[in-house]
Amino acid sequence: MSIQTAAWLVLALPLAGSLKLALGFRFWRGAMAGWIGTAAVGLAFVFALVTLVKLLDLPAEQRHVASSLWDLANVGGVHIRLGIYIDPLSTLMILVVSGVSTLIHLYSVGYMRSDEGYTRFFSYLNFFVFSMLLLVLAGNLALLIVGWAFVGAASYFLISFWYRRSTATNAGIKAFVINVIGDVGLVLGTFFIFRRMGVLDYGPLFHGVQHAFDKNEASLVAGMILILVGAFAKSAQIPFHTWLPDAMEGPTPVSSLIHAATMVTAGVYLIGRLHPLFEWAPTAADVGAVVGALTLLVAGTIGLAVTDLKRVIAYSTMSQIGYMIMGVSAAAYTGGFFHLTTHAFFKALLFMSAGSVIAAMGNEQSLDKISGFRKAMPFTFRCFLVGGLALSAFPLMSGFFSKDDLLYEVGQRGGWYYGLYAAGYIGSLFTVIYTWRMIFRTFWGEPCEQALALEHGHLYHAPHPFNPANGEVEDTGVGFPGPDHHIAEQTWQMKAAMSALALLSIAGGLLLLPFESLEPLRKFLEPTFADSIVAHPKNTGLETVGLVLSSVIAVAGIAFAYATWVTNAGGAARWQQRFAPLHNLFVNKWYFDELIDLAVVRPLAAFGRWGRDTFERIVVSGALVGGTSGIVKSGSAAVRGLQTGLLRGYAGLVVGGMFAVVLYFLLRAA
Amino acid sequence: MNIAWFLIVSALMFCLGAVGVLVRRNPLVILLCLELMLNAGNLALLGFSRMWGDGDGQIFALIVMVVAACEVAIGLGIIVALYRRRLPVDVDELRELHG
Amino acid sequence: MTISLSIVLWLPLAAGIIALALPGALARWVSLLGAAMVLAYAAVIAIDYDTGAGGLQYVTDETWIRSLGVHYTLAVSGLNVFLILLTAITFFAAALWVALKDTDLPKPGLYAFLMGLAQSGVLGAFLAQDLALFVVFFDLMLVPFFFLTLVWGGPDRGPAVLKLFIYTLVGSLLMLVGAIATGVLAKAGAGHHVSFLFSDLQRAPLGKGSQEWIFLVFALAFLIKMPAFPFHGWMPDGYLQMPIPVLAVFSAVLSKVAAYGFLQVALPLFPRGAVQYQELLMLLSLASILYGSAMAFSTSQVRLILGYSSVAQLGFITLGIFALNQQGVDGALIQAVNHGLVAAPLIFIVALLAARSGGSEDLRDMGGIAFRAPILAAVFLVLTLALLAMPGSSNFIGEFLILLGAFKSKLAIALIASTGVGMAAVYALRLYIRSMHNRVGPKVESRELSRADGFVLVPLTIAIVAFALYPQAALHAGERDVRARLAPVAAVQHGGAADLAAAVRRGASR
Repeated sequence: MSIQTAAWLVLALPLAGSLKLALGFRFWRGAMAGWIGTAAVGLAFVFALVTLVKLLDLPAEQRHVASSLWDLANVGGVHIRLGIYIDPLSTLMILVVSGVSTLIHLYSVGYMRSDEGYTRFFSYLNFFVFSMLLLVLAGNLALLIVGWAFVGAASYFLISFWYRRSTATNAGIKAFVINVIGDVGLVLGTFFIFRRMGVLDYGPLFHGVQHAFDKNEASLVAGMILILVGAFAKSAQIPFHTWLPDAMEGPTPVSSLIHAATMVTAGVYLIGRLHPLFEWAPTAADVGAVVGALTLLVAGTIGLAVTDLKRVIAYSTMSQIGYMIMGVSAAAYTGGFFHLTTHAFFKALLFMSAGSVIAAMGNEQSLDKISGFRKAMPFTFRCFLVGGLALSAFPLMSGFFSKDDLLYEVGQRGGWYYGLYAAGYIGSLFTVIYTWRMIFRTFWGEPCEQALALEHGHLYHAPHPFNPANGEVEDTGVGFPGPDHHIAEQTWQMKAAMSALALLSIAGGLLLLPFESLEPLRKFLEPTFADSIVAHPKNTGLETVGLVLSSVIAVAGIAFAYATWVTNAGGAARWQQRFAPLHNLFVNKWYFDELIDLAVVRPLAAFGRWGRDTFERIVVSGALVGGTSGIVKSGSAAVRGLQTGLLRGYAGLVVGGMFAVVLYFLLRAA
Repeated sequence: MNIAWFLIVSALMFCLGAVGVLVRRNPLVILLCLELMLNAGNLALLGFSRMWGDGDGQIFALIVMVVAACEVAIGLGIIVALYRRRLPVDVDELRELHG
Repeated sequence: MTISLSIVLWLPLAAGIIALALPGALARWVSLLGAAMVLAYAAVIAIDYDTGAGGLQYVTDETWIRSLGVHYTLAVSGLNVFLILLTAITFFAAALWVALKDTDLPKPGLYAFLMGLAQSGVLGAFLAQDLALFVVFFDLMLVPFFFLTLVWGGPDRGPAVLKLFIYTLVGSLLMLVGAIATGVLAKAGAGHHVSFLFSDLQRAPLGKGSQEWIFLVFALAFLIKMPAFPFHGWMPDGYLQMPIPVLAVFSAVLSKVAAYGFLQVALPLFPRGAVQYQELLMLLSLASILYGSAMAFSTSQVRLILGYSSVAQLGFITLGIFALNQQGVDGALIQAVNHGLVAAPLIFIVALLAARSGGSEDLRDMGGIAFRAPILAAVFLVLTLALLAMPGSSNFIGEFLILLGAFKSKLAIALIASTGVGMAAVYALRLYIRSMHNRVGPKVESRELSRADGFVLVPLTIAIVAFALYPQAALHAGERDVRARLAPVAAVQHGGAADLAAAVRRGASR
């Protein structure tokens, strides 16, 4: 099997799975649907491994393979192929995407079992995996945009999965529209590049950019900033981030797969993929780095204040992606993608664990109500701990090595990049505190009613199924969990998936240890980033400082959280009082939703209303249509008035006319 | 005899007919006046025919007579139908075809 | 095989006349049979058309009125080949709808006759290669729609409908004036006898001054027919009152005749006018896009949402045409086909939604329809995504090329127009979510597509998906002819007014 075949199969299998489930939804009811979906993605992972092996067979300088099936459009100088591009970066991405997806599919087989839309769920989920693989395998910018929009659509389908909930559909439309804005940015950015270079395929694009543009030329910078808009929208970076917390309306496996492990990292992939262009437009790259740094700080502060379990993890995701965006924009490619990989492991794990807790709570997500689950759910507790330790970069966990490598590579560039470096470590402190606040509040303290029930072996059921976001009683049939839900870490599929991810979260650091000879990931990615023109001077001292600083922050942060939320009851309330204005700002998420509402949504709605109520009536149908048809009608009314029906009147007109004619000729003759 | 006399008589007959059409309201009388106007035309045609000394005018006059006969037949038919349906025999009342 | 365009042109009318003489059910089936034969013929033409050679093929050329120089000349070109196929598909779907669904339609014979007349009119407008013939068909195709609305339309037809038809007919009559002026002035310029053939008119371009005002007259007629902002005033009344199958063909096809008119008539015959008023037309398209989108997400009448979305989509098409470059016009051409393919099934969906929400076509009475209707939900979802030009759909390729063309010619306009893409996402999804999702509306009763609905909708949806996978088919067919139509414009843009005629000849022979 050639490498091209393997890669096309990686792409084809999830699509086939999705179509099979969608078209045969009447036959594949029950667990079978879940297994079909899982098998499709699992096979895709196998072929991703085959692709990896084949790629490693090639000599390092030939590790970029393009392959295309047919032309989508070839007209007027625009040539869009249905083609893929395989190199170490895209191979890493397909491995992460299909691997983590397989585990999350497995988890969902158990987790979603009592849901009415089981088959639909797996069909959507497979479609998402296909879209994401298309995004990372696409061989040109146009096909990338297609994959880009497909994942947006899949994300919308899955956020609105429980479509009877108005909160879910509102969150879905918000996510979709912001993502479309990102798509438009991407398209316009592509135009800026295409106008000068006339190609869309990656190979010629990367080789030609330095001839086509001057370094940092205004039109290239403008194009790359528009492309960044696309990356920001997809990766939930400021100010396009407001959809991500709302996207938690989707089922928890969706949050785990799409809104933590894979889709939201597409922006990171995009910047890494187009790195020759970004390096040639350093101003745009700097914009990306600064926005990443801002996002990681802002999201970290919000994570300290919100009380919804899933939303804390969502803001944490935002913040961690801020790190990655900052990293790849500042040319810390290996670090960025290393962090992307480990983050996929531990964040998926955290979401899965949170999903178990939420299910045990009968759908309640508020940290104010959850407490004391340590004894009730020991397995989930352990997984949550592993994920939390990795997220807070505790020494020797995977997150420790990846975050450190990322910040080290940023710091290596010196100059004002030290500012980003410092921001990274400040954000790191926030990360530790909000992570452990979440852990302590969930698992320590007095067990709540639901936890007590579970300790005695009963699973809590809400008296009426309700929507946790607005308290509305659920409509009919659709909605989760159903009256017979039976989860909470009990099925082996969920346990297997969580164990695998826990192991990866611990051992993921082996991909790249801070020693020269132990950096397999850096060597693997080398061919992709070999053409980088950014220098990374070696700085052993900085590396050591970073490792020490990181360990100190992790330990100190955990200690602080323990003191505030466990030993010292009311400690949190005192902090809130002391910094009341700040706390308000954080709880209200820096008022981003309100600002966007004021600046965009309301003016547009007002314009629409004005058009409907005023302009349409007076100008469009009043003056133009009414005027034109009015003229025609009044003209015909005048003519009609002459037709009196009076016979003698007509005769008089005839005679009168005749006399007039005769008179005229007589006068002329005279 | 001078052609002018023929034409003067013809014109007088025509005017009489036209005035009749305009002032009378009974369709029967209007029909009579129409005949008068047609015959005025016939007289003029015959006069011209005689003036030129060929038969063209006479042929026209014959055709006009045929048309007049048809007209009378249809017109009388309409008047009879009006009587049958007990409609007023007054052209000022019969104006349903107004615009 | 030899293909006679007169057959495909008059077949619908012939079927209609036969149906007029037949009783009830038989009339519907005869009409369906006629539409099916036209569809088969159109498909044969689309397959047989030699895209490599391009240009006019299967030409039928007769002198019709010698003294006026009017020819009965029909031909298929790269511009109209897929529009003809679109027309055949849409009319067939409408006939199928009536045959399977509207079995209690009053006066089916008359209905079939009028639809046949309408189809012949539309096909004639697409096929005509003579300006006078084009104008005749352009005016003719509107007449049956007037009667179709008046007899079978909604409860408030009557004065409103009369008003809108007067309005659109005034637009068409303006075009008649323009056409006559073109013929007469071209005769004065060329010195030989009058001819309305496009090829003759192109060879004798009008002088400065007259080109400009005639262009404006034609543009006005096309913009009214589209409809484009601010001439869309007839649209709300029309959309609300037309019966569903009639509206489907009206929305899908008639607006495309106007777009085609810009390409076939306005650009090649009045290149100076096109260049002179390029910015005006682009600004009007921009206004159509923004205004149409804003209106589409502030109304709750499903038909009006689709109507205003058409205003916005046709804004994109006009924008592409008046980018006056290859990419923009290619994009506009394929987008015309795309929009037709999407608009027709969406109109049918309106009827299905109304049937499930107690007869109401208001979004406020809908909600939760997807519950027991997964196939309907899936079909509607595909259509929604195509409507909002989701990348991966053929509509995206169209909008991509249109925006690229606009981007190359007027950067600022393209940047503002691109916000229309985002707004399209808002109104399309709002339509989908408010009707299919959320809580069940008070009068809603969710049920699956009937078999008959499926026969109409599923093939249309499959056609959209297939076209999404290989849009190059239509793009390739149109490329050469688009270049030929743009040649005069390019000559004007590059200042060479003198060698305009030479450029035209080069473009035509290429």
